[in-house]
Amino acid sequence: MTDGGACSVCDSLARARSGDASAFTELVQRHQRTVYSLALRMLADAHLAEDIAQEVFIRLHRKLTLVQSDTHLLFWLRQVTTRLAIDRLRREPRHELLPLREDPGIAAESADGDPLLQRHLRALIAQLPPPARAVVLLRYQEDMDPADIAAVLEMPVNTVKSHLKRSLASLREKLDGTPGMAAAAERR
Amino acid sequence: MKPLQALLALLVLAALSQAAPAADARLALPDFRALEARASETVSVSLDSSLIGLAARFLDPDKPEDAAARQAIAGLTGIYVRSFTFDADFAYPQAEVDSVRKQLSAPGWQPLVQVRSHKERNDVDVYIRVEGSKANGLAIIASEPREFTIVNIVGSIDLQKLHELEGHFGIPQLKLDGKKQP
Amino acid sequence: MSADLEKQLRAALRAVEPPAGFAARVSARTQHGRWRRGWLPMQQRWVPTALAASVLAALLLGYGWQTHRERQGLQARQQLIEALRVTGQKLDLAYRGVQEASRPSDDTGA
Repeated sequence: MTDGGACSVCDSLARARSGDASAFTELVQRHQRTVYSLALRMLADAHLAEDIAQEVFIRLHRKLTLVQSDTHLLFWLRQVTTRLAIDRLRREPRHELLPLREDPGIAAESADGDPLLQRHLRALIAQLPPPARAVVLLRYQEDMDPADIAAVLEMPVNTVKSHLKRSLASLREKLDGTPGMAAAAERR
Repeated sequence: MKPLQALLALLVLAALSQAAPAADARLALPDFRALEARASETVSVSLDSSLIGLAARFLDPDKPEDAAARQAIAGLTGIYVRSFTFDADFAYPQAEVDSVRKQLSAPGWQPLVQVRSHKERNDVDVYIRVEGSKANGLAIIASEPREFTIVNIVGSIDLQKLHELEGHFGIPQLKLDGKKQP
Repeated sequence: MSADLEKQLRAALRAVEPPAGFAARVSARTQHGRWRRGWLPMQQRWVPTALAASVLAALLLGYGWQTHRERQGLQARQQLIEALRVTGQKLDLAYRGVQEASRPSDDTGA
């Protein structure tokens, strides 16, 4: 019996490595949500997010021969995306930005829970310091455990745990300070 | 036309009516290495006409924001930006600001807007350079408590097109009530 | 409550699709370089080895130049966007100053 999903992934990677353009496009399509969403939530700017996301895949195209497996590919994509986003944030001159205006076309609201609360949470996450922001995104968007996050971000596991703990506390505190939001978080 | 745009248009017309033979629209920017060492963040951009042309080729005409940027840079031959952010108020020497302002008293440069905000301790000067009946240079000097910025744009300037970039690329939108975005 | 917040975070951070045509845009940018590489082996069949080596060297240089140029172009675009952003921000500062100055005073006097 074959696992069709796993084989098709390995197959795309192998074919892309040998120069098959359509296979590379399949890889892009398979991983574009992850890469783009990480960049979007890190940078809180859809245009910059697309710039970064494109740059990630351009770099992947050049370094494809170094990617060993699909697991390695996902690791590489998450690492390069967060790294490029953090670098971009460090180079960003300080200026006033409007809060991320989430067009319905940019962020699909989740069917579960309170859309207003979710939007507020995304805005609060965008205010976290970049390294903490990356940790939160890898934990709750990518569902990674602290050890894997530590490997992607090249930081000690205890630092990852500390970022998580402080970020959650900060989010909770800010939600408590926003009328209606704390109750919404409780109600779900 | 919005009131501010009308004001700007009038100011540009007034500047153009006083046209005089002009020196180069490109400012001689000081070597800011010492300032850069003290700044917590630095933006340093120097794009001549070939780099502007190259950048333009990577702007996607199908994206409204990129199309707006292409419009804004059409006719430009140079864009030079130096912006420094500091961790303490007024950590940059006034002499650096004055050395650039001095160049703007050369023939052809006209002050367009001069803002002195005592409340926010901001000074912003916008100068335009005219030759004949055309504006071919723009200079902005902004000194804020923790940020010092010089912008020098060379070439055929369209302030309206620059203004239309607001809301894109993280450029703040002008809030009609004049309030800062928190 | 912690579990509730985490659940809300997961819901809020569900991954979203990039704007339509994203994969095609990426492919377009990668395909240009790929086309040059793909052309090479056919030429090698028909020309003498030395000439083939020269052609190969020239094409690789050309490909390298293309890659370098693309990188330069992307960097120039990023710089341009930063420059426009700073310019827009400072013009905004000036506009706001003008707007505040032209607002009638609220003072009614003693």
